[in-house]
Amino acid sequence: MLLMQQIVNGIMLGGVYVMVAVAFTLTIGMLNFLNFTIPALFMVAAMVFWATMSGGFGEGFDSLFGSVLPVGMQWVVGVLLALIAATLCSLLIERFTYRYMKTRYGDATEHAIPLVSSLGFLIIFEHIVIMIWGTDPMSLNSPFGAATWRVGGLLIGVPQLISLVLSIAIVAALHLLLKRTKTGRALRSIAENPDTALLLGVDVQRIVPVVYVVTGLLCAIAGILFAINYRTVGPYIGEQVATIAIAGMVLGGLGNIWGAIVGGLIVGLLEALATYWFGADIVKVPIWGLLLLVLVIKPTGLFGQSAIGKGKF
Amino acid sequence: MKPTSVLTMLLEVTDLDVRYGRNHAVKSLSLSLPLNAIVTVLGANGAGKSSLLKAIMGIVPATSGSIRFDGQDITGSTVPQRTRGGLVLVPEGRQILTSLTVHENLLMGAYPRKHFDHRETDAIYDRFANLAQRRDMQASVLSGGEQQMLAIGRALLAKPRLMMLDEPSLGLSPLLVNQLFTLLGDLNHEGLTLLLVEQNTHMALKVAQYGYVLELGKVSLEGTPDQLQDDDQLQAAYLGG
Repeated sequence: MLLMQQIVNGIMLGGVYVMVAVAFTLTIGMLNFLNFTIPALFMVAAMVFWATMSGGFGEGFDSLFGSVLPVGMQWVVGVLLALIAATLCSLLIERFTYRYMKTRYGDATEHAIPLVSSLGFLIIFEHIVIMIWGTDPMSLNSPFGAATWRVGGLLIGVPQLISLVLSIAIVAALHLLLKRTKTGRALRSIAENPDTALLLGVDVQRIVPVVYVVTGLLCAIAGILFAINYRTVGPYIGEQVATIAIAGMVLGGLGNIWGAIVGGLIVGLLEALATYWFGADIVKVPIWGLLLLVLVIKPTGLFGQSAIGKGKF
Repeated sequence: MKPTSVLTMLLEVTDLDVRYGRNHAVKSLSLSLPLNAIVTVLGANGAGKSSLLKAIMGIVPATSGSIRFDGQDITGSTVPQRTRGGLVLVPEGRQILTSLTVHENLLMGAYPRKHFDHRETDAIYDRFANLAQRRDMQASVLSGGEQQMLAIGRALLAKPRLMMLDEPSLGLSPLLVNQLFTLLGDLNHEGLTLLLVEQNTHMALKVAQYGYVLELGKVSLEGTPDQLQDDDQLQAAYLGG
């Protein structure tokens, strides 16, 4: 029963990884760009949510919203601010890494420079947060407490369950957007061949920011869910979660949304089981071990196909 | 009979220059295209035919000169603006989106249009029965001829005023080449204006009403198909004697 409980916990944990892994895979599949700022977007959203809920913005902010909002509705403001903050940060990255570098330096460095500068943005965002709130982990006054359901002897945390359902629903919606809408078809055309997309009348420069908005929103929701689940946030949570999410993404196959979902759930499960069997200290060994093993057997990952960025959706 | 101002000109290219770095691809080229005509641009590889089409489409910028389409100066317009204005290019190599289905490729053709009824694709399927059978398959399964049909069908769904085609007969069997030129003639009869870049000089001059011959980025000859066919120079260079 204890093992079953760990499996349930692992799948719940996987929900957060799924969203971050999908954010990574989307930018790779669409723009052939490994966006290293994704951990920062996740972390900024979690920090902004925490700050709204737990007095991180100071008393003036709290009294302003405290006077307007009914008690218990603070989390709505927190969610909105977190979504806005992460989306704005994401668009900033589009403007100053992807677009700027691409137009300035052309093809040869097209891939490497945005990659390195997105890494730079990760460090900048982390240190802005450190300058404001320091490096210590902060604890969150959760609006949902520790509500749990008991299902046949298994304990299921309500926040965890919500986050799992929400992440699957969001990813399914994203899938529908890509498959069924005009914008989705345009994005998939850009993913296959930006020149053809332009020829067909797609305003590539204008539609690429859509990918960054979606990335920001995915990371923000994942960050908020993380904060609610663990009730502890700090400037380095992004790196901790994103490294495992990257493993999940690569496991599933670069640029493949469904691969990222399966990969994210697998690493979540693996983390919970490894903690149960071997303790928290070596939890990354089985995750990266499995990843290396899969890459040796199937270098494209579980669901990966041909070259990166060529028609994964 | 050079097209004159008596006819309505849909496209007027004046003193167009296109340079890529040191490569001077198109040199002070002028060309005009009357409404409802088929005009062909001939010439050897590297004569600047593709560069000309790309400049008219806006994919490469005009270094100097002007391009007027439907009475408007579009020299500085972006590609999406030009597609919305009714210009469409069926590119060399077709550029089918192989990760999309046949149907999705057609829908992408209608991308520039604000108002589009998905049932308009029926007309394309009526015209190209092979595409109807492969409607929901990935476009990567299509043969070369089917890809060319898809590229033209996709371009038609943009409801273009001018369709430009860059070597559409390339790589097709003689039978398919005949079908292709019959189709182009039909489309023209239905009122579509065509600018056709071809290496298949013989077929192009059969269907076109006027032709230009490019050499090293310049117009070296122009005239009606009869005039061009009688020209010894062209005979020797492009028509194979």
